[in-house]
Amino acid sequence: MRTFLAIAVLGGGVAHATVGSALRIADVAPDIPLIVVVLLALRRGPEFGCGAGFVAGLLQDLATGGLLGVQALTKAVIGFAIGALGGRLRVSQPLVQVPGLVLLSILEGLARFGLLQLFHFPAPFGELMTYVVLPQALYNGFLGAALVLALAWAEAAKDGTS
Amino acid sequence: MRTRALALLGVVAGVCLLLLTLQMRGHAAGASDALAVITTPVQTVLARVNRATLGIWGTYRDWKNVRNENRRLREETQKLRVEALRVTETDSENARLRRLLALKESLPLETMAGEIIAREWGGWVRSLTVNRGRGDSVARLTAVIAPEGLVGRIVDVRAGSSVVQVLTDPTSTVGAHVVRTRTPGVVEGEPRGTLRFKYMARDGSGIQVGDMVVTSGLGGLFPGGIPIGRVRAIDDRGSALFHYAQLAPAVDFARIDEVLLLTGGATRDVAASFKNDG
Repeated sequence: MRTFLAIAVLGGGVAHATVGSALRIADVAPDIPLIVVVLLALRRGPEFGCGAGFVAGLLQDLATGGLLGVQALTKAVIGFAIGALGGRLRVSQPLVQVPGLVLLSILEGLARFGLLQLFHFPAPFGELMTYVVLPQALYNGFLGAALVLALAWAEAAKDGTS
Repeated sequence: MRTRALALLGVVAGVCLLLLTLQMRGHAAGASDALAVITTPVQTVLARVNRATLGIWGTYRDWKNVRNENRRLREETQKLRVEALRVTETDSENARLRRLLALKESLPLETMAGEIIAREWGGWVRSLTVNRGRGDSVARLTAVIAPEGLVGRIVDVRAGSSVVQVLTDPTSTVGAHVVRTRTPGVVEGEPRGTLRFKYMARDGSGIQVGDMVVTSGLGGLFPGGIPIGRVRAIDDRGSALFHYAQLAPAVDFARIDEVLLLTGGATRDVAASFKNDG
């Protein structure tokens, strides 16, 4: 399980560092680690989601050179919350996946902004939301839904062959 | 299980807040250094993976671009080849028409240009169909020439076209003479598609291979001086009354595309209009 966690989280980090830049549209890149954390949390529960979010966030903090712990905390919280609520959500529907991931991305952005404000870090809210959080949230929503569908298709194919 | 998860969340949140607090109080270096011990190797690996992946991705994109470029260039080359063929063909046609025009302007006769639209090359009959007919006031037995020499005569006039009997037709005969010796005779077509010059033995002792044979102008059908062909071989029949000379036609009848019809009569000698070195 720990190996799987490490592979998944590192894989998300690698994907973010590599494919993320290639997937950039109009200077907006998806937050792949967040999508990975959400997917893991939905499947493995709050404990797993929390741990995965913490590691993935910490790696991102280190990679970006910002305040250590900001993304680690926000992603850990998101992973925990999704893991805890996962059973009650009908996440197999794309109509739920897209808005759900958009909402989660916005919540993560708001939480990050709140943390930064708590530590007296100057960040203009309006610009952050307009140019960073909202576009990335929309991108995350569609990319995450596509990933969920791809995983479902792969699993169906695997079941069909076995 | 839920308690454990909550406890984990609490620990994670505590660690994060501690990290943030340490950083805000100026102890960032220590916290970062401590984490860097663990994370730097991971980052190094990630950076290498990143570079490798980007390298592979870049190579793939380059390959794809090169393939597309290759396809585009192949199509362009194909188009240019067709274009070049068309240009060559136009160039060739242009040269032919220029020569025809030069001949038309140099001839002291009324002429009409025509285009070959069909060929009959069966052996029994050797003819060409030209796109000038009754509508163009073409008359039967009109002489037909090309820049290289005589082609034949019109034997059938139709509404929009005419049939030209080519010199190599087995029934074709034309009065002619050898330019150098002035030996008179008749040029006849042969079933195998060749030409022969029939002359009286007593007049033709001086004929040599390479001599040019032109129309004599006698009979009023063809103007005098139009090249017919060069002597290729002499068929000496000993004491026979007539001897024969095989001729290489001046005109390549199989390749000719444009001709001139001599519509204004055939009374004058036109030898000066042809390059005739005897």
